Amino acid sequence: MFQSFIDFMGSTGIAAMITNAKDAIAAGASGFDQFVAVIGTPLMIAIACVLLYLAIVKKFEPLLLLPIAFGMLLSNLPMFANSGAIMMHTEFFTDPAYMIDGHLDMQRIFSEGGLLDLLYLGVKLGIYPPLIFLGIGVMTDFGPLIANPKSIILGAAAQLGVFLTFLGALVLGACIPAINFGVKEAASIGIIGGADGPTAIYVTKTLAPALLPAIAIAAYSYMALIPVIQPPIMKLMTTKKERCVVMEQLRPVSKTEKIIFPIVVTIVVALIVPDAVTLVGMLMLGNLAKECGVVERLTKTAENGLMNTITIFLGLTVGATAKASTFLTAETLGIIVLGLIAFCFSTAGGLLLGKIMYKLTGGKVNPLIGSAGVSAVPMAARVSQTVGQKENPANFLLMHAMGPNVAGVIGSAVAAGVFLSMFS
Amino acid sequence: MSLFEALGEGLMVTVIGLIIVFAVLIILMLVMMLMKVVFYKPQNDSHHVPSQQVPAPAPVPAAPVEESNMDETELIAVLTAAVAASLNTSTYHLNIKSYRRIENTSPAWNKAGLKDVIDARF
Repeated sequence: MFQSFIDFMGSTGIAAMITNAKDAIAAGASGFDQFVAVIGTPLMIAIACVLLYLAIVKKFEPLLLLPIAFGMLLSNLPMFANSGAIMMHTEFFTDPAYMIDGHLDMQRIFSEGGLLDLLYLGVKLGIYPPLIFLGIGVMTDFGPLIANPKSIILGAAAQLGVFLTFLGALVLGACIPAINFGVKEAASIGIIGGADGPTAIYVTKTLAPALLPAIAIAAYSYMALIPVIQPPIMKLMTTKKERCVVMEQLRPVSKTEKIIFPIVVTIVVALIVPDAVTLVGMLMLGNLAKECGVVERLTKTAENGLMNTITIFLGLTVGATAKASTFLTAETLGIIVLGLIAFCFSTAGGLLLGKIMYKLTGGKVNPLIGSAGVSAVPMAARVSQTVGQKENPANFLLMHAMGPNVAGVIGSAVAAGVFLSMFS
Repeated sequence: MSLFEALGEGLMVTVIGLIIVFAVLIILMLVMMLMKVVFYKPQNDSHHVPSQQVPAPAPVPAAPVEESNMDETELIAVLTAAVAASLNTSTYHLNIKSYRRIENTSPAWNKAGLKDVIDARF
């Protein structure tokens, strides 16, 4: 009986943690690898707990950050190598030694994979982000955009941050030897500036899967921080007179226009950037289902049940890819800094074009709606509304800002398509 | 990749990428403008009659207030807003003098249908 107790003690997580640390030191790995092997597990659990705190107490995008943080916790629990209890094997998806000719070894994943491995297939095969877009499509009202077509250009200008950050990431990679950013990694980091979680995940899982957790966490955290990040830039770049502009009321949009819009957008995008169609197509399907009004049961499922299910799967598995060896690196720090820069430049890009439109229209456009071109719907539009109302309490910019805001979703999906067609 | 190469490659992608994104969205803008021409018929504004003094409509005859234990000001504010919205005018032009509950005599199926429509909007 005593022997079986000893055997049980040898199989616990505590024993696994000690054994793994000993093995790494015995294997004579380099200094940093040893450091990660010894304190990696407790440190990752601590980071997961900090993220849980941010999600629960600070309410940073809790719907996503909570599953992400818990997924991170689950995949970093101390386990023996080859233990059947391991839920996530990131090496199956990133390490060429576990793949067949650079493709996933499905046989191995199905026979040896844990729960999170199987769920992660939805990310790896690009299933979850488009389905999330389906739900977003149902919740999006393109009316304000159709009523004021010019505002779609603001959604394009806000992609400035995406491309400038791409440039910045390449330069950073060239300057600092510890950071290894090629074009694919740079593209994945740049897309953070689109302020669109599913798009960022969709691009990263194809171009730079190893960076997925860092990019997803950066994108969702900064999205939660938009009300903090944007207003200073907005005040800095606009004059008081510009912020006070009251825009004329939007025209009503007919049902026919709202029904035709998603169909036309899908076709136009497919004709120019086919790689963006997976995302844009699902977005527009959701929107069409809502606007046509004949499939109420489908829209209800897409925006509630389906979307929530996918959110749990997506958050949990993206978090679970954050393993100490790939997450505790200089690259992660670089991504956090570059992600913030991306958000700032995207805001600035939108504002800049907003100012140009203000000049061209003789003061009819309030440049504040430009910053809503980053696609965090509806947070960025609400920030425009709040900043505008501070200058003039009777000014309601919300509906005007929703135009660029939903255009930003299309814009960042197109930017993602551009990157995918260039680098994948 | 050297710094020079990185800058060159990055700038090229930035310029091409921005051009494509702008091109796609500008085409969509033109499509939307075309849609406006084809599908949008502005409603004639003749039946918009704001800015006159509209007397409190529906429940005009003064009747004793039934539920005096309610927060009246809030109820009146809601009623004023509802009347203003249905008349397409501002609450400044309205002056609610009295209100009275009218029994809802519509069939049960109509009520259920109405409730369904209201629920679907939320």
